[in-house]
Amino acid sequence: MLGFLGRRIVSGVVLVFAITTLAFLLLYLGSGDIARRILGQTATQEQVTAKAHELGLDRPIWEQYTGWLGNALSGNLGRSWFSGQLVIDGVTNRLTVTLSLVIGATIITALIAVVLGVWAALAGGWVDRTIQFLTVLGMAVPGFLIAVALVVVFAINLGWFNATGYTSIADDAFAWARSVTLPIVALSIGGASAVTQQIRGSVVDALQRDYVRTLRSRGLSTRSVVFKHVLRNAVGPALAVLNVQFVGMLGGAVIVEQVFQMPGLGQLAVGATTQGDVPIVMGLVVTTAIIVIVVNLVIDIAQGLLNPKVRLA
Amino acid sequence: MDPYLATEWKYDDTETTLTLTIRDGVTFSDGEKLDAEAVAVSMNRFKSGTGPDAGYMRNVDTIKADGATSVVVTFTAPDPAFLNYLTRTAGLVMSPKAVSNADLPTNPVGSGPYTLDVGATVTETSYTFVQREGYWNKDVQHYEKIVMRVFQDPTSMLNALRANELNYAKLAVADTFDQAKAAGWTLNKNELDFQGLLLFDRAGTQVKELGDVRVRQAINHAIDRPALLQAVALGFGTVSTQVFPTTSVAYDKSLDERYPYDVAKAKSLMKEAGYEAGFNITMPSSAVLGTTVYALITQALGEIGIRVTNEDPGSNFIADMLAPKWSACFMALEQNPDWQLTQFMIAKDAVFNPFKYADPDVDAMLNEYRTAAQDRRTEIIKELNKHIVEQAWFAPFYRVEGVVATDPKTAVKMLPTNTLPNIYDITPA
Repeated sequence: MLGFLGRRIVSGVVLVFAITTLAFLLLYLGSGDIARRILGQTATQEQVTAKAHELGLDRPIWEQYTGWLGNALSGNLGRSWFSGQLVIDGVTNRLTVTLSLVIGATIITALIAVVLGVWAALAGGWVDRTIQFLTVLGMAVPGFLIAVALVVVFAINLGWFNATGYTSIADDAFAWARSVTLPIVALSIGGASAVTQQIRGSVVDALQRDYVRTLRSRGLSTRSVVFKHVLRNAVGPALAVLNVQFVGMLGGAVIVEQVFQMPGLGQLAVGATTQGDVPIVMGLVVTTAIIVIVVNLVIDIAQGLLNPKVRLA
Repeated sequence: MDPYLATEWKYDDTETTLTLTIRDGVTFSDGEKLDAEAVAVSMNRFKSGTGPDAGYMRNVDTIKADGATSVVVTFTAPDPAFLNYLTRTAGLVMSPKAVSNADLPTNPVGSGPYTLDVGATVTETSYTFVQREGYWNKDVQHYEKIVMRVFQDPTSMLNALRANELNYAKLAVADTFDQAKAAGWTLNKNELDFQGLLLFDRAGTQVKELGDVRVRQAINHAIDRPALLQAVALGFGTVSTQVFPTTSVAYDKSLDERYPYDVAKAKSLMKEAGYEAGFNITMPSSAVLGTTVYALITQALGEIGIRVTNEDPGSNFIADMLAPKWSACFMALEQNPDWQLTQFMIAKDAVFNPFKYADPDVDAMLNEYRTAAQDRRTEIIKELNKHIVEQAWFAPFYRVEGVVATDPKTAVKMLPTNTLPNIYDITPA
């Protein structure tokens, strides 16, 4: 297990390096006259040139990149070109918001998927058909449409939840719940539908296996067979799908955070990318890459614990 | 202009020395004293800095404190807009002790009625301000706490407004006006910006046809302003053919009748100029200014043979426009007080005169204006406006209505020269 972990960590570091290099190159190519954008329409050309020099934009790209990398390795991601905020502060402030949403949505996704997936597989008939229909619908309707509908009904008309904004759980737990409920629901519907299908398929498949028939012939109850044996086998593939969903939700959070105006990484990414705020975008790239790699690692470990055969791969 | 941090200001006879008297007894939020020295340090720092508005100080030679309450500013040439700049960013004063703080951009130190609550603030998302103890002017501190939220999406802002999460909102998109009104909000309006075509290449260096005044006049006649206003801004605004605001002494209502919509007249002007067959022109487009307007401009100019190709430069829009990359461009520009306006879009070295077009008549008028007495200035600026309209430097369409919406608990006093009201002018209703 230790060797496996070591190999994964080394490949993770290489991956982060490759991603940041590529991102820096792409940002550099697309950045245009950033000094002018920072200073606005009334600045003179001399001011623009001075600003470009101040930011080091007149240096060759490799020098700029190695400079960024050297600082990043010592934990300094620089300051936003537009707001002057430390990148590390901007990212960590917003990380809790996005993680609230994505982790919340992942938990909801897993719960819904296990309940509906197992129910559909065991009950069959109209229950199965209804659940299958709902999951197809859930995957087909775009997340932002669901978000907009939720806002109109539950925030504007009923006033139960917030239409926009975010309250920290440390400030007020109730207000926090009011602010994150609708975004989490909007974010989880698509993922929950996909994972439900996956679990239903795995359970149906497992129920037809020989070992289930053997267990049943020994007089074990359906509940015991399903929860002690079938689910344990079905959970591996479901975890893989959940992993993909988690990464997808990081992307989906961009739209949901826009609709609900939540100060998360997604909103920061949209703003920074359109402005061309390279230090912020690079900070986000590093953070997201690390999150994705860590989550992959955690899922791999979980699967390894469940099924020792995976560790050889 | 009302006294504030400066209680008095006085120019010498040549308008090259300005003496400001600084209010006594004002402090910064870090406890430092706001005196003449602090004002001089701030203004000098602004002058030599790389901030977006550093150009406001371009005519300033020196800034020195003279005693505890007097600041003397000397100029290389008179700048009739300077006092106005001091009501904007150029007049903001920072604590001299705090200017070298590394976290100053996110933890500001100032002398205003509120201080930023850094712990409750997420940069570029929401800013929380709390009333400051010991502020010299209690009368303008209307709220204990003010939370400012940044919305990147007009629909989300409208949702927040309808869900009663806001008291005040600057509405940027005309199709949200009616919905805000339907939710019981008051629409407070002013007309600050004009939108229209900026015909940059008046010398015809890039597109030679634009160098002919008859072509520029033809473009003005080809525009159906009332229809455009209705289609693009849903009627929220007033059609115009001049760039000076109604608050200016230069404004002349009759000039708005100079270029009525008249395609036949436009075509005959094109023919007279020898361009009956029309010509090609490339102009930039930006989603920020809407999408329909570009199609309508292309169609209107197409009627008189001008074939427009639209090009979307993305976020390089302003930089490319000022490079200069295009001979003409649809744009929204701020209508400033007179001298500031000329320095912004008319003078030879104005930022929005990217081809550095120089007209001897205009130069002469601006040169005289700089040092003339007030009565004469009024005459000159009227004459200048008329000349610009006659020479068709621009093809303005309309002044757009800026809307600030307030809920029933909130009142606001709008300023004729600012997009947004001062924080002092937002009050409980």
